[in-house]
Amino acid sequence: MIYDCLIIGGGLAGLTCGIKCASHGLHTAIISGGMNSLHFSSGSIDIAGYNTKGEVIKKPFEYLKTMVKENSGHPYARTGIPGIKGSLNFITEKLSAEGITLSSNNDFNHFHITTLGTLKPTYLSQESVFSARVTDIVNSQQKIAILNFKGFRDYYPEQTAANLKKNTLFKDTEIVLGDISLPYYMNTEKNLHEFRSIDIARIFETERYLPRIAEEIKKASGGASAVSLPAFIGVNNYKAIRKKLEDMTGKFIYEIPSLPPSILGLRLDHALKNSFIKLGGEYIAGERVVSGSIKKDQVEFLTTKNSGNIPVTSKFYVLTTGSFFSGGLSAGFDSISEPLFGLKVKSENKRSKWYSRTFFDKKSHPFLGFGVEIDNKFNPVSESGKTIKNLFCAGSVLSGYNPVSEASGGGVAISTGFKCAERIIKEIKND
Amino acid sequence: MNKLETDVIIIGGGATGAGIARDLSIRGLKCILIEKNDIASGTTGRNHGLLHSGARYAVKDHESARECIRENKILKKIASHCVEETGGLFVTLPEDDPAYHRNLIEGCKYAGIEAKEISIRKALAMEPNLNPNILSALVVPDGTIDPFRLSSANVLDAKERGAVILTHTRVNGIIKSGTVITGVECIDIKGNQTEIHGDLVINASGVWGQELCALAGIEIKMFPSKGSMLIIDYRINNIVVNRCRPPADGDIIVPGDTVSLIGTTSKEISYDKINELTVDDEEISVLLNDGEMLIPNVRHTRALRAYCGVRPLLAVSGETQGRNISRGIALLDHSERDGLDGMITIAGGKLMTYRLMAEKTADLACEKLGIKKECSTHLIPLPGSEKKISKKSRIKDFTGIPDSVVGSTLYRHGQRLHSIMTKDKKNYRVICECEMVTEGEIEYAIKKLEVKDLVDLRRRTRIGMGPCQGELCAYRASGLLQEFGGSAPDESVELLKDFLEERWKGMKPVLWGDGLREAEFTYWIYQGLFGISHMKEPKKIDNTKIDTIKEESPEENIKKEKNNKKIKRKLK
Repeated sequence: MIYDCLIIGGGLAGLTCGIKCASHGLHTAIISGGMNSLHFSSGSIDIAGYNTKGEVIKKPFEYLKTMVKENSGHPYARTGIPGIKGSLNFITEKLSAEGITLSSNNDFNHFHITTLGTLKPTYLSQESVFSARVTDIVNSQQKIAILNFKGFRDYYPEQTAANLKKNTLFKDTEIVLGDISLPYYMNTEKNLHEFRSIDIARIFETERYLPRIAEEIKKASGGASAVSLPAFIGVNNYKAIRKKLEDMTGKFIYEIPSLPPSILGLRLDHALKNSFIKLGGEYIAGERVVSGSIKKDQVEFLTTKNSGNIPVTSKFYVLTTGSFFSGGLSAGFDSISEPLFGLKVKSENKRSKWYSRTFFDKKSHPFLGFGVEIDNKFNPVSESGKTIKNLFCAGSVLSGYNPVSEASGGGVAISTGFKCAERIIKEIKND
Repeated sequence: MNKLETDVIIIGGGATGAGIARDLSIRGLKCILIEKNDIASGTTGRNHGLLHSGARYAVKDHESARECIRENKILKKIASHCVEETGGLFVTLPEDDPAYHRNLIEGCKYAGIEAKEISIRKALAMEPNLNPNILSALVVPDGTIDPFRLSSANVLDAKERGAVILTHTRVNGIIKSGTVITGVECIDIKGNQTEIHGDLVINASGVWGQELCALAGIEIKMFPSKGSMLIIDYRINNIVVNRCRPPADGDIIVPGDTVSLIGTTSKEISYDKINELTVDDEEISVLLNDGEMLIPNVRHTRALRAYCGVRPLLAVSGETQGRNISRGIALLDHSERDGLDGMITIAGGKLMTYRLMAEKTADLACEKLGIKKECSTHLIPLPGSEKKISKKSRIKDFTGIPDSVVGSTLYRHGQRLHSIMTKDKKNYRVICECEMVTEGEIEYAIKKLEVKDLVDLRRRTRIGMGPCQGELCAYRASGLLQEFGGSAPDESVELLKDFLEERWKGMKPVLWGDGLREAEFTYWIYQGLFGISHMKEPKKIDNTKIDTIKEESPEENIKKEKNNKKIKRKLK
């Protein structure tokens, strides 16, 4: 089968690219191992959270205007600011069609509360994380309740509260701590292996439990009008569940992302996949590309784990395999490589230059900025120095930015994935 | 300032200090053990955990070899839950001098170590990952010993017999009255100061003993030697594999718990570097290259972390009495050596002979205090090693709990399993999936085993020691620490950060392949998702300041003498 566009990697960059291509009628497929970084993300979309000094950025697009001028190797310098905005609008619309509302604080970043009670700047969030109501609750220092599900070992409200209280925004806020539990579900408390956010999300998705949960919330929240829970109030249909709970309790419900699996991220992942499939895209999960064959300046074919000797071909290919964790980049004893095509990688050759002395060093780690080098058309260069014209790269496989220290991972994934799609759409039109 | 009184003050919570505390407690003396960091956090916890048969020393150092095999047999009995009787192999590689093999057999015979030559085929059947090109193989009664568990069990026993344990407490002053040392001043991590008076101060602080002696105005000189080791993920061998050649770098692979360890390098370092040791890239290459010669698939296995320790070798030149017990162990009586009463120093030796060192030290202590009590640490099992738990009772008592969970707890705590796995079902919840550490085990460790932070908790339970190096369980453990009263909630987050920084120290030297993948994921979670470095920094307390020697008033001196008599009476 010959595709118009074959995307290797089903993360945020790959899905964005796939949806855009499919929405233009391109015969598009995504090959994915199954999981992606959304599964351990906050579920909010960061554009630019911190500057190079580690200070919080208030207005990301304003900051980026100067940043892209000074840092021409940054992916944002290639997508351009209108490109970022356009891609975000596109994805926000697609998510909205799938029932997920992402809201921003106009042109400003807003904060989301982390498990540890720190505040992180981000740009787009689900309404259980950011809305006008949240701003109102924080500013008026209303009493809040930070609750947990009894026996859930991936979240500790005491820690959230303790650090939150150190922040001036919450200094005078009265915080109530408490647990909710379901007696008929507590047998799982003994579950030796899994009692994770996803298990609790399933409880919330079970409609008959909701009245009891609402009772528990009311009981535990000590009269607070706003209640935070670890993000586990359902993956599918979470909006309706939240609405029901809010109606039953008469309280505002806020979500804090906890340890993976990230329910907030899973919602985005599911919605984007659905969107892609509805547009006619082929989502091939549980598959792995083993190697890519390059001839001159073209990718000839791919070999995958399941296809055996049968080559998989496409007019255009997009590499969105992520960085080290997901296998998009590979670290040998003393060199960094891109394992599928052997693309030219920007890195350091001496291992001791890959990392910083302390783990939470202010300067973060150089290895997070390593990755594939691309030109302005988003084409990479092969080992022999040839630009590969039918291959495009997007997301964290790219070099030139540090998604964690900049808090820019989501924005780069969406904008570069989108840009690759635009490039392919244009090329196919020209054909 | 708080004031405490005791019979004996022991400084240093390594295996030796812990062993002395236990020995003296069994003999009926009151002790206070002071450790500046955590139990087994220094040299004790930074070796390869080999239960020496003595074969390693059999060719050149018969006395050490004899000590080793004697202690080997004792530890198998008294510390059975800390020991794995894996057996050991000495294999000759084509690169090695074949004559050494003969010398080793003779040396073992002379030292009383049971060494048996086996066919290469048999050796490969016993240890299939072994280099198939070996020229000869010898079986010796090597084993493995967990230094953390061993020290912790000694401390637990001492504590249960009345000893007081002060960890994360630093001695910053010696109290003297004329030529008699009468106590110490110390400061804990929160800045609380304590004055402790006793009849005898025992310096068991290993390589740090030089600093401590200096506080008392005594000069001793350590020759620190750094040893680096590499841990590989997966237990690629079940038998200790030694290279049959004179001791050198990278000549041993020791299985331990769920991993294997390649040891060891040896490099002299200057004393002022002992607190800032790091494993360098060159050492990693040496260990990998040499390790690969013994077990070829070392190279294809993920390196988990690297660490180093510092051997406390005491310089003997210029001393008249020197190593007056054995060539390895140095017991210094400062009244004879320096004309200063009330203090003795124990140094040198190795983990393997910790009990013997403790025995010798306790003997001298008793002699000085005029107490006639024999050592019995070689006869009384450590807590957890009292009796083996039979498979039958294990099944009966823990029906419905996966054997991996029960087994891991049993493996780490021996018979104390029953104090951990009580009927409360929360005690079975698995918190660290790599090492199968349950909530119950964590609660037990926090409440009973002198756990002050998450690094201490790791040493007691192995939490965060597995392949993921504490990726998710570190956070869970920090939450449990504050839940079980081990710290305040905000403090627990600080301790989480410290824990991850501590893990990083061992990860950075081996940051390639899956190690880098794991590090990236961990960084994403704690920095990207949790924003840990955006916490408001607390004020750190500096407890490293050193006080000068404090002179005691004559009244206190008289009080001390009275006290001395009291002990003697009591023990009669």
